[in-house]
This record gives sequence, C-alpha cells and structure tokens, in this order.
Amino acid sequence: MGIPSLGDRFAVFETMVKEHNISLVTPPVTKHTLSLGARYSPEFACLPFKGILGTFIECLEQGADTLFMVTSFNACRMGYYAKVQEQILRDLGYRFKFLRFHSSEKGLIGVLRAIKRFSNNASWPTVVSLFRLAVAKLRALDELEREVQKIRPVELEKGTADRLYREAIGAIDRATSFASLRQAMRGYFERLEQIPKDAEYAPLKVGIVGELYVVMEPFFNMNLEIELGKMGVEARRTRSTFFSEYTKWGTFLNALNDEKKELQKFAHPYLKRDVGGHGLESVGEKVRRAGDYDGIIHLAPFTCMPEVIAQNIMPFTKEGIPVLTIACDEQLGRAGMLTRVEAFVDLLERRRIGNILR
Amino acid sequence: MRVGIPRALLYYQYYPMWRTFFEGLGAEVFVSSPTTKLMLASGCSRLIAETCLPVKVFCGHVLSLANGCDCVFIPSIHSVEQKVYSCPKFIGLPDMMRATVPECPPILDPDVDVNTGKRDFYQAIYKLGRPFTRSPLKVRKAAETAWQVHQTFQRRMLSGLTPPEAIEGMFPQSVEEPEGNGSHPIFTIGLIGHPYLLYDEYVSHRLVPQLREMGVKVLSPEMVERARLRASICELVERPYWACEDEVIGAGAYYLGRGEVDGVVSVVAFGCGPDSLMIEVLQRYAKRLGKPFMQLTLDEHTAETGLMTRLEAFLDMVRRGKRPQGISPPASWSQRGGSKRGSASWVYLA
Repeated sequence: MGIPSLGDRFAVFETMVKEHNISLVTPPVTKHTLSLGARYSPEFACLPFKGILGTFIECLEQGADTLFMVTSFNACRMGYYAKVQEQILRDLGYRFKFLRFHSSEKGLIGVLRAIKRFSNNASWPTVVSLFRLAVAKLRALDELEREVQKIRPVELEKGTADRLYREAIGAIDRATSFASLRQAMRGYFERLEQIPKDAEYAPLKVGIVGELYVVMEPFFNMNLEIELGKMGVEARRTRSTFFSEYTKWGTFLNALNDEKKELQKFAHPYLKRDVGGHGLESVGEKVRRAGDYDGIIHLAPFTCMPEVIAQNIMPFTKEGIPVLTIACDEQLGRAGMLTRVEAFVDLLERRRIGNILR
Repeated sequence: MRVGIPRALLYYQYYPMWRTFFEGLGAEVFVSSPTTKLMLASGCSRLIAETCLPVKVFCGHVLSLANGCDCVFIPSIHSVEQKVYSCPKFIGLPDMMRATVPECPPILDPDVDVNTGKRDFYQAIYKLGRPFTRSPLKVRKAAETAWQVHQTFQRRMLSGLTPPEAIEGMFPQSVEEPEGNGSHPIFTIGLIGHPYLLYDEYVSHRLVPQLREMGVKVLSPEMVERARLRASICELVERPYWACEDEVIGAGAYYLGRGEVDGVVSVVAFGCGPDSLMIEVLQRYAKRLGKPFMQLTLDEHTAETGLMTRLEAFLDMVRRGKRPQGISPPASWSQRGGSKRGSASWVYLA
C-alpha cells in the first residue's frame, strides 16, 4: 500500500495496518519524486499535488497495489486531489486500488471504521489495540520533536539532537508494545537531556506557519527547522501540525476544535471566514504570536489559494511582527532560500538589539 | 445612499439581481467603469504577485470606487448549493479587500452559505438590507423582485446573449447595439471560461467580438441550461466540487460532446486554483474524444497579438480538420505528439 508522505508522521500509519498483511511502501520524497510528479501534473497545480503524485508513482513502481488518499469537502484544492490523481495514474497505465478517506468520516468511530475497511476487515479488538498503539506513537513523536526543537539552537555540537531524533524515530517505529515504546522514549529523553548545551544563550524564536504539507515535509522546506537550528534560532511550528493534538479525547479528529476556535478569534478582525486550507491559521497564528515570537516564516505552495489570501492580509494587521513568506514550488533552490532566511534572521537579530537599546 | 458594485468577478453573474435589490431598498447603485489599464495596474500594486488575475482586476475596481460611494458591496460567497463550495478567494474577498484597500468605504459583506441552512441565508439578506431600511417586509419584497429579475437575466442569456449584452438590454447604459453572432459563421467554437474573464473586454482583449469578426459562431457557457451543464459535469467527474466550475467544465464537456461544435477554447486566469485541476480533467476528455481543444492562459502581461496568433492557428487547424478529403487530423496528429499530453501538438498549441 502506498500513502502520501508527510515528514516522519505518516509512518505511524504502518502500525495500524502492518498486522493485517499490509505492507506499506514509503519512499522518501526526493528530487526524483518531485520531478516525476511535476512531469505528470497539470502545470498550475500546487506543490503538494505534484509531490503526492510523485510519491504515488514511486510507490507504484516499487510494487504498491493500493493507494491511500484523504479527500474532503473544502474550498481548497486538496479535497479534489484524489480524483485528478487517480485519473492521471490510470491514464499512465498503472493498475491499483484507490482507497479514499473522506474527512466527513469524523470522530473516533468514523476513523476506526475506515481503518477496519482498509485493513481487509480485521477484527475489532486488533483494530482498536493497534490504533491505540499508533496514537501513542504519534504522541511520542510529537513530544520528542518539541524537545528537539528546543535543543537544536542551544546545543554546542550542532546536529547531535537530530542524530538522536533520527534514531528515536527508528526505535518508535520498531516498538510493538506500549512497554517497549515507553522504555525507548525514556532512554531517548535522558540522552537528549545529556546533550551539552549553551545555557547562557537565548535563541531567537521564529514561528513557522503555512500550508501543512510544505511545513511538514522537510524536502520541500529544505530542512528549514534544522537549518534555523544551525543558525541558532528556535523554530516553532503551529500547534495544529502536531498530530497528537488531534487525537486527544473529546476533540477527536474534530479538526482541532479548540485550537481552531482560538485562532479564529485572533484572526477575526482581519479574516472573518474560514477560507479552507490553512489560510485562517496562518493569519491567526501571526496575530497570536506577535508579542511572543521574534519573527514568522510563512511557507506557502506557489498559487496556494488560502495562503495567497493570508499573505495578502498579513502585512496589514495591527500586531506587527516581521513575516517572511516563501513560496515553495519545484523551482525553489536551496541556496536562494537559505540566503533569504539568513537575511531574515539577521534582521530579527538587529531588531532585537534595537528593542533592548530602546 | 450610494452603493458601489465593482464591475468584476461575480458582477457578470449576479449584477441585475444585486442592482434590483438595492434599488428596491431605495439606494442608488453605482457600477465601476469597465476595466482599464490603470485599474489593473493599481490593483496589481496592492496585491501580492501570486494573486490570480481576476482578483487583481477586482481590487482595481474597488480602488476606483473608493471615492464617491457610501459603501461597497462585496459579498462573501461560500456556497450557492449543498456541499459545493466556492473558490477560497470568493470567500475571503471582502476580508482581502478590507486589508489591502484601507481607504475603501464600509464594505457590505453578507455571507452567502446555503450549507448552514435557509435561516442563516435569509438572515444574511435581512442584515444586508438593515442599513437601508428598518422594515423587514421591504427587504423581503426587494429580495423577491431581485430574484425574479435574476430569472429574467438567465433566460435572456439562454437565448444567446452574453452577460454584458443581457445586462445592457435590461439596464441600458449606452446606445451601442449588441453585435450578435455573425450571419454566416464558418466555424462554431465553444468558448468556455469564467464570465469575469470572457466578458471583461480589457482582460480578454475583446475575445468574443474578435472571434465573431473571424467568422466564428461563439457558443458560451451561459447559452446552456444549468441542468444540462450539471448533467455534463456529473458525467465527467461524478459530482462538482467547486461552485463556479459548472460554466467551465460542465460547458466544456457539453460542447465537446456536441457534433456541431468544431472545437473548444478554454480561457483560464494565471494562478486560478480550481481551473488548474479541472482543466486537466477536461483536457483528458478532449483527448479521448479527439476534439480540438485549446487552453489560453491570461495574465496581466498577455498581449493581444500573441492571443490572436494562437487563435488564428487554432482556427486554421480546425479548418483543416473539417476538410473532407484531408487526412483525419485527430488520429495522425495525436501520434506525433507522443508526450505526456499525447496529442500535445494538436491539443496544446502553446
């Protein structure tokens, strides 16, 4: 089975289905993936479309016979990806089964039913227990990543935390029970704590907002978080990109109700309506973090409809905070992007010194 | 009170209805003048480069209305039918304009969303009428007349008039006679695209009149009944996803399937999100049928000469295809293409 990649997160999906004789094909997103996707996509489709299509083609080349995609009723193009991608792949001559998870299958029951459907009608107890393990893994990954985000800018030897994080992801993937997962986690947290850090240094804080796929997939944002860490800047993502937030009891897969409501409140003076995608979240997050962070990096796929709206509105909010918008597409170069990020960080640094002097 | 209505985007679909409604409430309606170079340039200067062309044009119109109106009407259209949403830009339009045109007078921005139920919809209408009158009855009456006028407007377009021509007939502004389709057209071309692109003479470089001058009978999406459009779109993609795609994809599929139509020309704006995916579906359909199909992408840099050259080349090709003794173009030309679009040289006159 092939699934769209989303950073390291979707690997958790494997836990849910592995036991039912389904093996997951998860090719990493590379230049090749994107060029495949871009070749067969409509010219003006947005980056996530091209990336996911590329991933699907690689999955099929590696022998996947089933593909999985999320669809929804939403104003954004994302909800319609599956339809067009299926047609393109079929026209290319691939044979496969296409599974769709519709966002209207909300709530715990809906999700579990969908998993049961995808895993060849497995028995309820196995579905439930594996699902619980997957949720625990998701939470473990999120906790770990938050910790790593804090360590990156202050560690003395750059890259140590990320090395550990890679290892930890492997260990979490391998864990087959709650006990082994807990044990692995404890070990890694201790090791993260032991990393030598610069206690004096107060890093700049930069929020990363924007469209989910480009924010989450390190290939598309050129490992932005790690690069910021190397520059001694603490990167913080929006809460809605931590999936364990979705899986809290009560708000289960309900589009992160409380968080969304809060962001809506912040965005309201400037953007009153949900425009699909993550446009509202970007504006809301900017307004909310204006006093808290030093700057915001806004990642948007080129021509992304909701993000274009957000980008048009963001400069005019009363709450001032520097925002750097980076439009990601298949033409984005690493050097160019990093130069812009470096210049932005320099600007933030000076702004901070200016604020202190004043 | 003077209500300003920008002559852009949904103006072409709903203007008679809007005007009747506001006039029924005793307001004076003021429409911005047709798009000019200056308007587009001023719109472009306010918005980021990536924004799609129609929104830039819209912004230019709002800027031109900024002086001389007491308020500007920019509705936020979420949906006009169940579970089919508009493009996000229609939803965020009033917010975007409020941010980017700070000198704009107060914006009337009702939320039109039929998915939240009739009650909310009616309430939105009453709220819209509130600044003009305190009597709900008056609002109701204005809305009912407006709806009837909208029906008349749609009937007029079904009879073969383009939206600007139909509007002209209903609210005469100048003495210019609508030209109508030429008496002896050589070709019949289905011209598809959003009305705000096709009928904005500056943006589309007078595409419709120019085609008619070339001896083409132009069939536009408004000349097909909604039910037929819907049936064609359902045939192609099961169910529509975006609200404004009926007149593009539905009409495209409808005309591609008709024998008397020689070819289909689609006009899209650079950076249009919904079209970027939907046109792909249509293009694949055209390829399967072997019907001539051309996509014209418009942006603020599009030059008229380039546009005309492509149209002429396309019509030449259609003419050759129509010659009875000639080789059958679709089959032979599609083999030459061989790329991912298959019939690239045939379908895709870039």
